[in-house]
Amino acid sequence: MLDIKDKLDKILMKVSKPARYIGGEINSVIKDVNSVDIRFAFAFPDVYEVGMSHLGLKILYHLMNDRDDTYCERVFAPWVDMENLMRENDIPLFSLETKTPLNMFDIIGFTLQYELSYTNILNMLDLSKIPVRSKDRHGYPLIIAGGPCAYNPAPLSDVVDLFVIGDGEEIINELLDLVKACKKDGAPKEVLLRRASKIQGVYVPSFYREVYNFDNTIRTIEPLNEDVPAKVKKRVVKDLDKTYHSDRQIVPFINTVHDRIILEVFRGCTRGCRFCQAGMIYRPVRERSKKTLLKLADKLIKSTGYEEISLTSLSTCDYSEIESLIYDLIEKYKDRGIGVALPSTRIDAFSVNLLNEIQKVRKTGLTLAPEGGTQRLRDVINKGVTERDLINSTREAFKAGWRSVKLYFMLGLPEETMEDVKGISDLAHLVADVYKDVNGNTKGLKITVSTSTFVPKPFTPFQWCPQDDMDTIIKKQNYLKELLKGKIFHYNWHEPKMSFLEAVISKGDRRVGQALIKAWESGCKFDGWDEFFKFDNWLKAFESVGIDPRFYAYKERDFKEIFPWDVIDAGVKKDYLVREYKKALEGRLTNDCRLYCTGCGIKDLDEGVVCFETEK
Amino acid sequence: MKLRSKFEKDGDLKFISHLDLMRAIERAMRRAQIKFSLSKGFNPHPLLSFGPALMMGATTHGDYFDVVLEDEIDPEKFKDDMNRTLPNGLKIIDCYRVDDKDLLSDRVVEGEYTIIIDLLDYGKDMGDIIERFLNKDEILAEKDTKSGKKMIDLKKYIEEFKILSVHDGKINLYLRLKISEGSPGPIHVLKALDDFAGHVFDLEKILIDRKKLILN
Ligand code: SF4
Repeated sequence: MLDIKDKLDKILMKVSKPARYIGGEINSVIKDVNSVDIRFAFAFPDVYEVGMSHLGLKILYHLMNDRDDTYCERVFAPWVDMENLMRENDIPLFSLETKTPLNMFDIIGFTLQYELSYTNILNMLDLSKIPVRSKDRHGYPLIIAGGPCAYNPAPLSDVVDLFVIGDGEEIINELLDLVKACKKDGAPKEVLLRRASKIQGVYVPSFYREVYNFDNTIRTIEPLNEDVPAKVKKRVVKDLDKTYHSDRQIVPFINTVHDRIILEVFRGCTRGCRFCQAGMIYRPVRERSKKTLLKLADKLIKSTGYEEISLTSLSTCDYSEIESLIYDLIEKYKDRGIGVALPSTRIDAFSVNLLNEIQKVRKTGLTLAPEGGTQRLRDVINKGVTERDLINSTREAFKAGWRSVKLYFMLGLPEETMEDVKGISDLAHLVADVYKDVNGNTKGLKITVSTSTFVPKPFTPFQWCPQDDMDTIIKKQNYLKELLKGKIFHYNWHEPKMSFLEAVISKGDRRVGQALIKAWESGCKFDGWDEFFKFDNWLKAFESVGIDPRFYAYKERDFKEIFPWDVIDAGVKKDYLVREYKKALEGRLTNDCRLYCTGCGIKDLDEGVVCFETEK
Repeated sequence: MKLRSKFEKDGDLKFISHLDLMRAIERAMRRAQIKFSLSKGFNPHPLLSFGPALMMGATTHGDYFDVVLEDEIDPEKFKDDMNRTLPNGLKIIDCYRVDDKDLLSDRVVEGEYTIIIDLLDYGKDMGDIIERFLNKDEILAEKDTKSGKKMIDLKKYIEEFKILSVHDGKINLYLRLKISEGSPGPIHVLKALDDFAGHVFDLEKILIDRKKLILN
């Protein structure tokens, strides 16, 4: 649309980071919009730099664009300065590739990565002049959503037409075929949704009803028609080696959160940390062969020109051939200055050799995540890391020249006492001692301690647990602030009100969804960003729909209780989660299921689902 | 060997910063599989150097960068290989070999600009205003430097400044500035002129193009 392009040229000079809105990056796709049957807008409800770092986008964007009949374009939440100018100049939200207004697309697909981005979804729809409630939309684009947060679809049930549960690349083609067929037949949205609900992994919220008990818990989530499934089973890619993988990735002009090649080495996790939602919903573990990875890495390096390649997964050091993979990559590319990174993976029991190899080319940060301050607490959460692991790994790192370490912990875990909180500081001091031992003093040392607040998440063994109330969290944070004084320590913590809201939405039902719309109407957006977070507006929104947010975050749940997300079958069985929860309370560990199967139930999900154990 | 490339940056790429530009060139070289030399030490990077940074929002049709390469490569081939892989909006227009000791920073002496700007007041005789502006003994302007704000005399830097055309409520200007450590950019000159003339420009609607950098 020439119109939007013209207007943009005038306003982009006035906004921060205008390159967020221009598109045109290497490996972005330009197609003739008249040559395709379906136009899909991949929408990420956060700013460009955050969204462009997301692996799912990278995969699905090219997967869809490899289809001749489909054009997938991107859109991100405009930053507030841009939003204001867009509203002032009557510019609707537009796609980056062709600057087309979003309401001209057939499908708008949101990816749900964190709950505090939900108000941005509403804001993006509104900026597109699209009604936020699905019941008010007729002849408008189909609004779909997927990603980890879609596993509890309840809070967005009034907004989203259909949810996609599980691995997107497994399901998106079927959905596109269906939309294409329906468009051709001129089938109305109702018919399309009806047909979509027959696809495994699709949840159409308008075909279900939530019924409540007097105590506000859920009595049932029932299908309104008999031909929709009572439970929606997630979809999984069965063989990650054979599934779609793109040999291109978009190379942004501006710095993004992860500005490098992302190479997914495996999906899933076998460690079984009891707070970790990703570790449960992404089961089973599916590895890519080293051969595939090396081939892919080579193509990606050639097509992107990136100087760094990051090996991602939930726990990359668990990859069967991690050492030889890293060794091969480094040998192959070190002359060209291309480094390997293990980002965000929490290197716990990493090998010294690995570290030394990696830093030959490029120095990456050292991040360790003991999560809990004491062994007792780490046993509760099933984090198989010991003090000795921590000492050994930091000692080797310091010997190799590292000077700074980041330590990640969680505050407010089930069974946590002040003793465990103190344990966090004790560990940090212990690491400082190790440094002193290696270097003679603490010169140059920097230890960053970060605590996030435990948020009980659906489909985890801790889904029944209450969250610590905000006062308690603040007390614990203050205690740590006291204990971590001194130049070498840097303490970061999460805003307790945000963590509370995250818990409310994570475990929220459809009533929370009504509050969400109210909160957005009163001006909430970018809730995950300190400068925009309006907690009071949220409290008023909850009040106006007559619900108590504390009910969602603080209530200890009964095993018999029905959760809003029980309509979803994530593969991992509820009785396994119960078992794990009980073991947690007894402080008993569960082994890594690469050792032997611990019976989570994922193998029964579908025929052909192969997990680590069955392979052996 | 060292190659010097003259390039243009146009279209939407005017919205990327100098740092973004450097990264884009580096990555284009990797895609073109050009063997550039790397700096020593942790986090090696290519031996790339650029002329003076361009302000965000301005285009250029004659900026330069130098790069040191491992292998001998025909400058024409470098240019073609790069142009095949550079993003839309970036293009190498000329490329030649220079001595390894030849530093771009020593070479750049002047910058030539064309500027199109919206006029708020069509009634004024801009030709006359510019003449009087240039005839002042001193043209003082404030400039941000690393050590805070500093007053500089623009007159020492302005080599040539004239009107190319006026139409449709826009004025098209030509400006040639000396370039040295801490020298001003066209925006300083425009602001100073706007002050002098009593606010005649819409400084939000302004297109600056560096026609070229002049090397000695
Ligand atoms: S079925 Fe067994 S081996 Fe497979 S993921 Fe579950 S616990 Fe692990």
